[in-house]
This record gives sequence, structure tokens and C-alpha cells, in this order.
Amino acid sequence: MTLGQLVGLVLLFNAMTFGNGPVMIPLLRESLVSGRGVLTTDELLYAFTVARITPGPANSYVASIGYMLFGLPGAALCALAVVVPGYLMLPLQYGYGLLRSARAVSGFTRGLIGASVGLIFAASIEMARGSLTTPGSWIVFVLAIVAATVLRWNTLLVLLVPSAIGLMLSALL
Amino acid sequence: MSLGRIFWIFFRAGLAFGGGLGILAVLERQVVTRRHIVTREEFLTTYALGRIVPTGTMTAVAVGIGHRLGGFGGTVAALLGLTLPAFVSTVGLTAAYRQLQDTRGFALLSVTLLPAALSLVVAAAVNLARSAIDRRPEMVLAVAALIASLLFHVNPAIILLASGLGGALLLGPPTSA
Repeated sequence: MTLGQLVGLVLLFNAMTFGNGPVMIPLLRESLVSGRGVLTTDELLYAFTVARITPGPANSYVASIGYMLFGLPGAALCALAVVVPGYLMLPLQYGYGLLRSARAVSGFTRGLIGASVGLIFAASIEMARGSLTTPGSWIVFVLAIVAATVLRWNTLLVLLVPSAIGLMLSALL
Repeated sequence: MSLGRIFWIFFRAGLAFGGGLGILAVLERQVVTRRHIVTREEFLTTYALGRIVPTGTMTAVAVGIGHRLGGFGGTVAALLGLTLPAFVSTVGLTAAYRQLQDTRGFALLSVTLLPAALSLVVAAAVNLARSAIDRRPEMVLAVAALIASLLFHVNPAIILLASGLGGALLLGPPTSA
């Protein structure tokens, strides 16, 4: 497999799945693990996990895969491949801006806003299912929710204080 | 707005844990709540348009907001800021793969940073919902979208388009509601 082929696959799968990582992983497994055998399942999972535990967009796992197969140039080109389609936003936003004052379009906007709130909640619930699997993780989650919404602490404290408590709990239990 | 400033706003968002929604939470705080650069409604519209673009949503949102704040240069500054922390840390940890595997610190993340990061996501969702929640039609659409996504796994782009079309046919401008 060449670097060009890898970048082509990443471009294609990214567009097909709208950049949805959990949907893209089965496609990548099919072609890189089962099909060509250039990666092991463990390596693919590691790439996915690393991207989720590091800050920033979760689709950085493509950089991890690129690095495993082709080093730094592979990482950079794969990362670029998931960034460049973002520029489709510009014509979309422009066209939307031209039309937004029309009555039908403002109704469309209200529909979009309602649905996006629902989709954000749906994604939150999906994530909770995946990561709140132990009593300890639930305790940290609830503490952090209280810190963020009731106490209105800043982001760093919301992350660090409950994390420290979770660390102490897991040392005790 | 200067490119350095745009880079800095998105760099801070790029340091957020919890993937796209974690970034959304920080970005909402930076550009809506704190600096009032865009209204909550515009922010949600940008998010919705970003989900229609066939790549990561926050990538498209960075292009959209970056362009508004600083033209083409703004998009580059926003994308660089957003992706740099993820790129450096992901590639660094991939290089360290063999050494880190099976260490205890790795397993501890699931009872420390990850659930704490999730709380930020939920808090942001509640915050963004506030603008839609006082109008009944938006509420109904939000709940319908939630159910369609969670229970029936309908593609988000289809949900957004259907909800938008429903709104265009049935709803007028917000003032009439």
C-alpha cells in the first residue's frame, strides 16, 4: 500500500461517514486489517483510543494510523485529508446567508436549531454509554456536572478536582 | 480580529477533552458566552451547517467561524489552532505505543479525566438548549431528533435536513412564535 492510497481511503471514508469516527472505524478495519493486512486490530484500536484520550478532535486517529504506516509524512497528510473537506463550509454558509431573510429559510433555521440541540444530547448520551461503565467513573462524572453547572467552576477546575477525587477513590478501592 | 487572536481562541478549544462536543463546549464559552462574537442562535446554525459538511463537524465549524472573524487567513489560523494539540499529542503517543501499553496510568484515565470531560459536554448541551427550549416547536424537533438519532440511528445529516424542511413548511420567523 502506498501513502497516496492510504490518503485516498481516508478521504473517501471520511466523506462517506461525515467524519463520524465510530462509523469510520469498521470501514478502516475492513480495508486495512482484513483486506490488506497492513495494520493489526490492536493497532487500529490503539489509534482510536489515543485520539479519544488526547485533547482536540477525535478524528486525529487518522494521524495515528498515518504515523504507524508512513511516519510523520503519513500523519501529516492523513490529518490534512480530514481537514480540507471542511472548506465546503464556505459555499454552504454563503448560500445560506443569501437566503436567510426569506420566510421559509427562517423556518428552516428554526428546524435546524431544534434538531441540532437534540443531536448534541443524543451524542452526549452515546458517549456516556461508552465511557461511564464503572461506579468510579459515574462518581467523577456527577461531581464534575455539579462543578460545571451548579458551582460554575472554570473548565480546568471542573476537569482536575473530580479527576483527583477519582484517582483517590481508585487508590482506596 | 487578528489572526493570532483567532489562533489562540481555537487553540484553547483544541485543548479540550471529549472530542467534538468538548471542543464545542469551550468554543461556545469563548465566542458566545464570554466574548459575544456570535449570538447563540448563529452559533447553533453554524453547528448545524457544520454537521451537513462531509467531514468532522468541528473542522467545518472552525472554517465557518474562522472565515467570519478573519477571512481566508482566519480559516487557516482557526484550523491550525484547533488541530495542533490533537496532532502533536496523538502522534507523540503513537510513537510511544510500545512503552505505554499496559501501564496503570493508561487505565486510570477512564475513572478520572474522561468522565470529567463528559460532564463539560453535557453542561454545554444544556447551555445551548436554553435558547431553543422556550419555544415549543423547537423543543418537539429536538426531542424527535434525539429519538431518531439514538434509537433509530438515522444519519444526522438526514435528521437536520428533515427538521429544517419541516420548519420551512410549518414555522415562520421566531418572532411569530
